[in-house]
Amino acid sequence: MPFELVRPGTQIDFLGKAKVCLVISVALILIGLVSIPLRGFRLGIDFAGGTELHVSFPENEAVDEGDVRAVVQGLGIAGASVIRFGGGGSNEFLIKYASEVEDEALPDVAAEPGGEGEAATVEAADPGVEVAEAAPAAEEPVAPVESELEPPAAAARAAQADEGTVPLVRQQVNQVIASLEQRIGPVELERVDFVGPKVGAELRRAGILALVVACGLILLYIAIRFSTRFAPGAVVALVHDVLVTSGLWVIFGLEFDLRVLAALLAIVGYSLNDTIIVYDRIRENMELRTRANLESVLNEAVNQTLARTLLTSATTLVAVLSLLFLGGEVIRPFALAMAIGIGVGTYSSIFVAAPTLLFLERRFGASPATARA
Amino acid sequence: MSLRWRIIWVGLLVLGLGWAAVANFVPEERRESSEWIPSGMRLGLDLRGGIRMLLAPDLDEAVRLELGHLRNSLERALEDENILVGRLAVVGESTIELELASPGDRDAVRDVVEDYSVLDAEETENGWRLTLGDLQYDQVRRQAVDQSLEVLRRRINDPNTGIQESVVTRQGADRILVEIPGVSEVPDIFARTGFLELDIVLDEEPSEELLQAKYPDGLPEGTRVLVEKDEETGRVTRAYLVNKEPDITGENLSDARPVFDRNEWKVSFTWNGDGAREFGELTEKNRGKNLAIVLDGEVYSAPRIRERISRAGEISGRFSSQQAFDLAVILRAGSLPIPVNLEEERTIGPALGADSIRRGLRASAVGLVLVILFVVLYYRLAGSYAAVALTVNLMLVIGVLSVMRNFATLTLPGIAGLVLTVGMAVDANVLIFERIREELRSGKTVRAAIATGFQKARWTILDANITTLITALILYEFGTGPIQGFAVTLAIGIVTSVFAALVITRMLFMIYPGDRHLEQLSI
Repeated sequence: MPFELVRPGTQIDFLGKAKVCLVISVALILIGLVSIPLRGFRLGIDFAGGTELHVSFPENEAVDEGDVRAVVQGLGIAGASVIRFGGGGSNEFLIKYASEVEDEALPDVAAEPGGEGEAATVEAADPGVEVAEAAPAAEEPVAPVESELEPPAAAARAAQADEGTVPLVRQQVNQVIASLEQRIGPVELERVDFVGPKVGAELRRAGILALVVACGLILLYIAIRFSTRFAPGAVVALVHDVLVTSGLWVIFGLEFDLRVLAALLAIVGYSLNDTIIVYDRIRENMELRTRANLESVLNEAVNQTLARTLLTSATTLVAVLSLLFLGGEVIRPFALAMAIGIGVGTYSSIFVAAPTLLFLERRFGASPATARA
Repeated sequence: MSLRWRIIWVGLLVLGLGWAAVANFVPEERRESSEWIPSGMRLGLDLRGGIRMLLAPDLDEAVRLELGHLRNSLERALEDENILVGRLAVVGESTIELELASPGDRDAVRDVVEDYSVLDAEETENGWRLTLGDLQYDQVRRQAVDQSLEVLRRRINDPNTGIQESVVTRQGADRILVEIPGVSEVPDIFARTGFLELDIVLDEEPSEELLQAKYPDGLPEGTRVLVEKDEETGRVTRAYLVNKEPDITGENLSDARPVFDRNEWKVSFTWNGDGAREFGELTEKNRGKNLAIVLDGEVYSAPRIRERISRAGEISGRFSSQQAFDLAVILRAGSLPIPVNLEEERTIGPALGADSIRRGLRASAVGLVLVILFVVLYYRLAGSYAAVALTVNLMLVIGVLSVMRNFATLTLPGIAGLVLTVGMAVDANVLIFERIREELRSGKTVRAAIATGFQKARWTILDANITTLITALILYEFGTGPIQGFAVTLAIGIVTSVFAALVITRMLFMIYPGDRHLEQLSI
C-alpha cells in the first residue's frame, strides 16, 4: 500500500475554522503595518538610491566592524552603514551610503587633446585631494605641456566640465577603498552598486506597478478559466500572501530590494498554484454534487486536495531551502522571501481562498446549483 | 502517434538539447576550438564579473545648446538683412525671445523668422516668442542620445581600449546601457578615439581595382587609396585617391549638426578659429572638387565643394535626413555632444561572480537530489519516472538557454530560477500521481487510472503553470538585467517542466505498464 501523507477520507472542517484564520491573518498584517513606523520600511539602494560596496579583507586577521565604520564615517560620508556580511568569522563587509551628488556628469574628455586628458586622469586617481586642481589646469591654454595645438575653444569647454576624468561616484569609492587600505589593511572590492535617485524612484514605481498588474492579470485569467465568482477568492489569497510576507519582512527588519521584489512576484504566481488545485477540485465537485450545501462541498474539496497542496509546497520548499542554505549571501534574501512566501501561500490556499469564496457566495451569490465553472 | 515514434521524437529533442546542455560543462577552450561542441549558456555580468552602467545624456542641455545655435543662426540671418533688433536671447528651457528695435522692422523680421520652420513663432507686442517645435524638440533629444550612443560605441569598440566585448545600447527613450564584462574598474572610455580627416579627392572609381588599373605604373607619389563601403554589406562601393597626408583633421571642429532648412537636409558645422582659416583656404582652392570625409581610414562620403567654406557653413547635396544625420554624427565623432550622467552602475568582481556560480550550482544539485530522493521514496516506481522527468527537465532548460544564448542570459537570480523550476517540476508529477492514486482507490483498473489521472490533472497543471508564466512575463517586462535573467529562466523552466510531466512521464508509463494488465501499480 502506498504511503499516504494524508489519510484518504480525512474530513477536517477547514471552513469552520475560517474565522480563527481570519483573525490570525489580519493580526499578522496589522503587526506588519504597525512595524513600519517602528522598524522603518527598509529600502535597499535599488529603491532608495545610494551606493553599496561589498568589500573583503584577507582571512587571517579578524577585522572589527567598528573600525571599518570609523574609517568610512571619517571620510565625511553622511549616513554610512557598515554590516558584516556572512557568518561571524567572515571578513566581508557591506558598506552602504547615500550618494551626495545628484547627477554625476561624465566630462567631455575629448575636448582636451590626448595629453592633457591623461594628466587629468593621473591627478584624479589620487583620492580627494587633487581633483579640484585638474579643472583649473585645463583652463590655462598654456599649462598643458603635451599639446600645443589645443584650441581655445576646447580649453574653455574643458573648464566647463566640472570634474576630472573619473566619475564622481567612482572617486568616492576609490577614496573609501584607499582609506580602508591605509588605515586597516589590504582590501578587495568584490562588488559596487550605485543607483542614482532617478533610477531608484523609477524602480520603486515599476515594482509596485508590476505587483498590481500581476494581480490584475491573474484575476482575469482565473475569471476566464473558472468563473468570475472564483476570481476574488484567488486575488484575496494573493494579496494576503504579499502583505503577510512583506509584513514579516518588516518585522524582521529586512531590506526590500530588487531580489525581494522578484521573489514577491514569483510568489504571486506560485502561490496561485495551490489555490488552483483547490479550485479545480471545487469545480469538479460542484458539477457532481449539485444539490449539496456549499460549505460541505468546499470542505470536501480542500480535504481531498490536502495531500496535493502540502506535497507540492513541500517539494518546492525543499528546493528553495537548498538555495537558502547553500546558495550564498547574494541570493539569500530572495530564497528567504520565497520560502516564507511558499509557506504563507500554502496556508492561504487552504484557509483563505475557499472561505473567501464561501463568504462571497453567501453574501452575493446564487445557490450552488447554478454555480458554473 | 504510436509509442515508438513518440519515443523517437522525444528522444531526438532530448538528445539535441541535452547535447547543448552538456556542452556547458566542457572547458571553454575545448568548446571554442571544436566545431562540434556548441557554445554554452551566456553568462550574465553578475556571474562573469564586469560592469554595467546606465548613462543618461543631458537632454535638457542638448535642447539648450540647440536653441543657442538657432539663436546665433537667427542673429546672422538678421545681420545679413541688415536688421537690428533690440534683443535676441534664449530664455528659460526652450524659448528665444526677440524684441524689435523699431516696429517698422516687423515685416522684414517676419520674413526671416518664417524661414525657420523648426521654430514655432508667436508674435508678441514687442516682437516674437520662438519656441522649438515639438517635432524638432523630440528630434534634438533623440539625436543627442543617438550621437552619444554612436560616440560611446565607437569609443568602446576602438581597439586601443583593450575592451574585447561590450554592449552599448539604448535603454528606453533616453538612456544608454553599457555593459563590459571582465573588467572590474570603469575604464577610461572617454579617451579620445576615432581619427577624422577631410581629404580632397584627386581621383575616384567604383572599385579599388579599377582605380589601381588607372595607374599601371603605381600610384602617384604621396597619394593613397581610400575606400567607401556599404554600411550593411561591407562591400566596397567606391575607391578614392587622396593625398597621404590628411588635408584637414577634425581636431578643429567645434560643432556639426544636421539641419532642415529651406526644404533640404544639410549639415551645418562650425570650426574654431584655426580650423576656419585652414578650411577656408582649402575649399577656396578646390572649388568643384570632391571632399572625402574619412573616419578611421574609411571614407563615409565625398560631397562636392560648391563654394569657399570658412568659419561656419553647410554641406548640402540632396542628403536624406539619415545621410545628413550620419554625416553630422561622424563630424562630431571625437567628442560627446553633451554631458552624460551616470544613473546606475553595478560592478561585480570576478571572484564574487565565480563564487556565485559555484554556490548556485551546488544548491541546484543538492536541491535536485533531495527532491528526487523524496519523490522516489514516496511514489516508488512512479516516483522514479518523475525523477527521470525531473532530470530531463533540468537538462532541457539548460539546453534551451544554451541554444537561445542570443536572447537569454544566465544570471544569479536565473540560477535561483533553475532551482525553483526543479521544485515546480515536481508539482506537476505530484498532481498526476495523486490523481492516479485516487482513481485506483475508487476501484479503476491500473490502465484506466493512469489514463484518467493524466487526463484530469492536465488542466490543473496547465492553469497553475500559466499563472506562474504570467508573473514571469511581468517580471521580464518590469525588471532589469539580472531580474530579467530570472524571468527568462523561470519561463523556460515552466514550459519544459510541463512538457516533462505531460509528455515524458506519460511516455514512461506507456512503456511500462503500457498495455500490460497489472493488478497493482507501484505508485
